[in-house]
Amino acid sequence: MASRSKLKDPGLILMIFLVLYALLVFVWWPADVYVYGISLVGWLMFAGLFFWFLLAIVYVIWIEKIEDRNNS
Amino acid sequence: MQVTESIIMVIYLVVLTIIGIYFYRRARQSESDYFTAGQSINTFVGAFAIFAAVASSSSLLGAVGSGVALGVPYFFTYAFGVIAIMPFAMFLISGQIRRSGVKTVPEFFNQRFGSSVQIVAAVIVCVGMTFYMVPQLTASGIIGSYVLGIDYTTAVIVLGLGFTLYAALGGMWAITYTDLIQGIIMIVGIVILALAILMNHNGIGALIGDALSTDPEFGDITQPWMSYFGLFIAFLWFGIISPSVVMRNFASKSPRIARRTSMWACLIYLTLFVSGFIVTSAGASLGIIDTLDNTDMIFVSVIDHYLPAILGGIMLAGLLAAIMSSADAMLLAISAAIAHDIYKGYINKQASERFVTGLGLIIMILASVVGVIIAIDPPGLIAIMVGWVGGFLLSSFGFPIVLGIWWSRANTQGALAGMLSGAITFVILITSGVLPTNAEPIIAAPISLFLMIVVSLMTSPPPKEKQDLVEFYHTHLEDTN
Repeated sequence: MASRSKLKDPGLILMIFLVLYALLVFVWWPADVYVYGISLVGWLMFAGLFFWFLLAIVYVIWIEKIEDRNNS
Repeated sequence: MQVTESIIMVIYLVVLTIIGIYFYRRARQSESDYFTAGQSINTFVGAFAIFAAVASSSSLLGAVGSGVALGVPYFFTYAFGVIAIMPFAMFLISGQIRRSGVKTVPEFFNQRFGSSVQIVAAVIVCVGMTFYMVPQLTASGIIGSYVLGIDYTTAVIVLGLGFTLYAALGGMWAITYTDLIQGIIMIVGIVILALAILMNHNGIGALIGDALSTDPEFGDITQPWMSYFGLFIAFLWFGIISPSVVMRNFASKSPRIARRTSMWACLIYLTLFVSGFIVTSAGASLGIIDTLDNTDMIFVSVIDHYLPAILGGIMLAGLLAAIMSSADAMLLAISAAIAHDIYKGYINKQASERFVTGLGLIIMILASVVGVIIAIDPPGLIAIMVGWVGGFLLSSFGFPIVLGIWWSRANTQGALAGMLSGAITFVILITSGVLPTNAEPIIAAPISLFLMIVVSLMTSPPPKEKQDLVEFYHTHLEDTN
């Protein structure tokens, strides 16, 4: 049976980062601030696209490290 | 009629049909082969397969069309939700649901909550996925009528039935392998298109400037906040609640491959949407959106304007490919829900595997006929229709799946209450039209969460073996093959 706490699951921890960034965008909502003619909301979301991919990479590497440790 | 584009598209569809026939015999070997490709898909093929299944017609046509019509922040919201699909699903459910060993989403509900929840889930899958066929068929009609020079209705009927037959013949084997080709065409096509646009406009800065000078509101937030937030959460959850995406996850060889597959699919998606931003800006700079019968046509106009006919033909074939793969994965989810979950699960447990896959085939054809009938007069923009499906499935399945995996106290009554209340609230909100479009899950999903928790706590806890099941799902980190 499970030897790890669900609270230490990398997925749960990384999801918190995901939710925090989404909250930053939707709570702050700087709709009237413009950068190069486009609302800052749009640019924050655009930056978020790369952040999402970064989180996916971190998750895969993290889980594989845990698996390798379990194997050895 | 666009002759060059037509020839390329016909060649493309013939090649796909040959692949479908090749895999036909293999697919009929067993149910596991038919529905999840025998769990033997590797990382490279799987990444494009997941990408092509999620990258529905709306990813290309719809997102660009809505970005040009409603301002580029709307496009970014779409991308912001869609690219988070892979990490979000990986973080919350992928490893655990794979550990459960089930083949379909309703089957997971049966394992965790019992048969009543499974049957309700199978019905919701059928309704959601059949409606999801509509934007796919709308998009195929738009492309078909442009390329072949036939009227929209005929294009919807011919293309819809054509690719349904193809999906019905090959099951997941054929779909997964043709997705590889479709995924590559889509991504290479849009990158070439983006590069052609950038060269034409002398760089991204000038392109955005051109778009803004044609449409001064291009960079604005034009809709209520709720529309953006609702769209974002509907897509964010799509990997968790969409049976067609979840089933792709089951087709990988091992958990490690499944995770890497999702990660690479995320990168492919990122590339698609960064290129899509350029296409959206180009669409706005053309200044023709008000002259189009259907806003979603703008993508085709951009292709027509910036690419030579041969490349345009390949790109349109890629678009059609996107529609086909998404629609095929949906059809498979519908047929699995009825043939595998309901018929074999409850009506005739002794049914042979050959009969079950044959029944699945008939159901696919029926579902596509319903989809075609609705798509002849589509009820909204592609992006908005896809948002509705995402919102409906999120409101119904989102919390029953996630709490089913993470909370051992969640029980059958709670899951039923959560699923039904979410689905019913969503339908009431959408038919009454009291909220801005796509904002429905902002209300419906929390109601589902609240009722699932309250009803679970007010009724007796699930039996010990069900609670142990939750612990078992979370041993996926010890499953190191």
